[in-house]
Amino acid sequence: MPDAYILGIESSCDETAAAVVRSGEQVISNVVFSQIATHAQYGGVVPELASREHLRAIVPVVRKALDDAKRTYQSVDALAVTQGPGLPGALLVGISYAKALAFALDKPLIAVNHLEGHIHAVLLEEKQKGNREMRFPVLALVVSGGHTHLYLAEERERGWTYQNIGHTRDDAAGEAFDKVAKLLGMGYPGGPVIDKLSKFGEPHAVKFPMPQIKHRDRREQGQPEPEGPRFDFSYSGIKTSVLRYVEKNQLQAAIAARRRKLAAIAKPSVEEYRAACEQSTLDLVASFQRTMVRDLVEKTLAAARECDVATVFVTGGVAANNELRQTFEQEAARQGLPVYFPSRQLSTDNAAMIAAAAYPKFLVQDFAPADFSAEAGMRLV
Amino acid sequence: MPTRETLTHSAAETVAFGRSLAASLVPPKLVLLRGELGAGKTTLVKGIADGFQAAKEEDVTSPTFTLVHEYRGPKVDVYHIDLYRVDTPRQLETLGLDDLMADNAVLLIEWGEKFPRFVRERDVEIALESVGEDERRITVTTDRSR
Repeated sequence: MPDAYILGIESSCDETAAAVVRSGEQVISNVVFSQIATHAQYGGVVPELASREHLRAIVPVVRKALDDAKRTYQSVDALAVTQGPGLPGALLVGISYAKALAFALDKPLIAVNHLEGHIHAVLLEEKQKGNREMRFPVLALVVSGGHTHLYLAEERERGWTYQNIGHTRDDAAGEAFDKVAKLLGMGYPGGPVIDKLSKFGEPHAVKFPMPQIKHRDRREQGQPEPEGPRFDFSYSGIKTSVLRYVEKNQLQAAIAARRRKLAAIAKPSVEEYRAACEQSTLDLVASFQRTMVRDLVEKTLAAARECDVATVFVTGGVAANNELRQTFEQEAARQGLPVYFPSRQLSTDNAAMIAAAAYPKFLVQDFAPADFSAEAGMRLV
Repeated sequence: MPTRETLTHSAAETVAFGRSLAASLVPPKLVLLRGELGAGKTTLVKGIADGFQAAKEEDVTSPTFTLVHEYRGPKVDVYHIDLYRVDTPRQLETLGLDDLMADNAVLLIEWGEKFPRFVRERDVEIALESVGEDERRITVTTDRSR
C-alpha cells in the first residue's frame, strides 16, 4: 500500500483542529485549539460563538499543523474534513475552508464522519504502537458530551463498515456529567471536575436507580425488522435523581455559595474545588460517577458478549474519565476481552482521527463530491 | 385563552400525547415547553416529532449539548431548542433562532420562559409537571387569536 500524508481538519464542536497523519498509522502533527475558555462563561457550547471562533482559528491552526509536520500545502496527498455530526455553523467553517484549499491545491478531499473518526483514533494509536494483534469485529463505545453510541466495526474490502447497535434515548453520558456539575455549582465542562472530585467521596453513599430500557418492537410502525438486539442508554433519569437529592437534602444554599466562591477563582485547582465542597457533596459526586461508569461498562460488555466481538474500543471525550478506564479494564479482563482507549489527547476532539479515518477511503478513492455540505445530524452507517 | 389539561401515567403515554398534539400544531408555531429538569420535555418532543413524521421516537434526544436539534419531516420541520445553558439575551441573539422561523417550522423551546421575548411571542405554551413518580400533568395553553 502506498504511503499517503493526509491533512485532517476538524471543527464540529468546540475545538478547531488540524493534523497530518501518515497512512492512518503515524501522527506527524496534531494541533488542537480549544474554545473551552470562551464557552465556559456560557456553561456550554454556543453554536454561533463556536463558528466565529473557528473562523478565527482555522488558518493559523492548519498552518501550524503543516509547520509542525515540516510539510507544505503542496506536499500532502489529500485533505480530509469532518462532515458531521456537529453544530452546522461550526462544521461549515471547516468544510468551506477544506473545499477551497483542496480546489486551489488540486488535491482530493475526503469527507469523514466525526464518530468514525473517534473509532479510528484507537486504530491509529494501536498501529502506531506496533500492535498487529488487533482482532475483529470490534465493538466501539463512542461516548462524549454529545454522543453515546455503540457500533460494530469491521474492515471490508471497500473500506470500513459500521453498524449502530445502541445509542442514548435522551441525554448523552457527557451531558449528564455537565448537567450534574452545573446543577451542583461546579461550572463547565463538568466531566473532568467530577472525575477529579470523585476520588474524595464515598461511591456507595447515594443509590441511584438506573432504568431498564424497554426495546420497543420497531415493526409496530410498519418499519422493517431490526437486524439484531439493541443496547440503548438513558441518562436523563439520573440527572433528575441528583436534582431530587439536592432538594430533599436542601443543598441549594450551599450550591449557590459554591458557585459564587468558584466564580471568583480564574481557574480553580482540584484543591480549590475540593475546598468548596462539603463531604456530602463529594459523596454525591462519587456516587453519581460510579453509577454512570457502571452502567456504561455493563451495557457495553453485555453488548460485546451478545454480539460475540473480539475487541472493545472506548473512545470520545468521556473515555478520558479515569474511573471509566479502570472499570472497563478490570471488567473486560475478567471476561477475557481486550479493551483499547485512545490516549487522553486523542480521546477528545482532534483532527488526527479524521485524517486516520480518511486513509482507507483514500485507498479506494472514496472522495467527496464537490457539492457536499455539512450534515449536522449525520449518522454513521 | 383556551387551556387543556391532561394527566399521563408513563413516559409512553407522554409520547402518545405528544403525537396527538402534532395534529393541532399548524406551522409556523413557536411553542414554549416549561417544566423543571426531568419533567419530561424531551419525552413529549419525541411524540411531537414522531407525529410530524420528522423523526422516530428513539432518535429524538436531548438538545442540551448542541442547543438546537432539527428534525425534517415531509411537511413540517421540527426544531427542538434547549436554552438551559443560555443565560443572557446577548447569548440568545448569537443563536439566530429568528432564521429558523420559516412557514413550515415548529419551534419547540425549552427554558424559553427565561426570556420575556418568547413569553410575548409564543403561540402555544406546554407546561409539564411531575405529580408522583411517573405521572405528569401536561397543560396546553393556546392563544385564541393564533
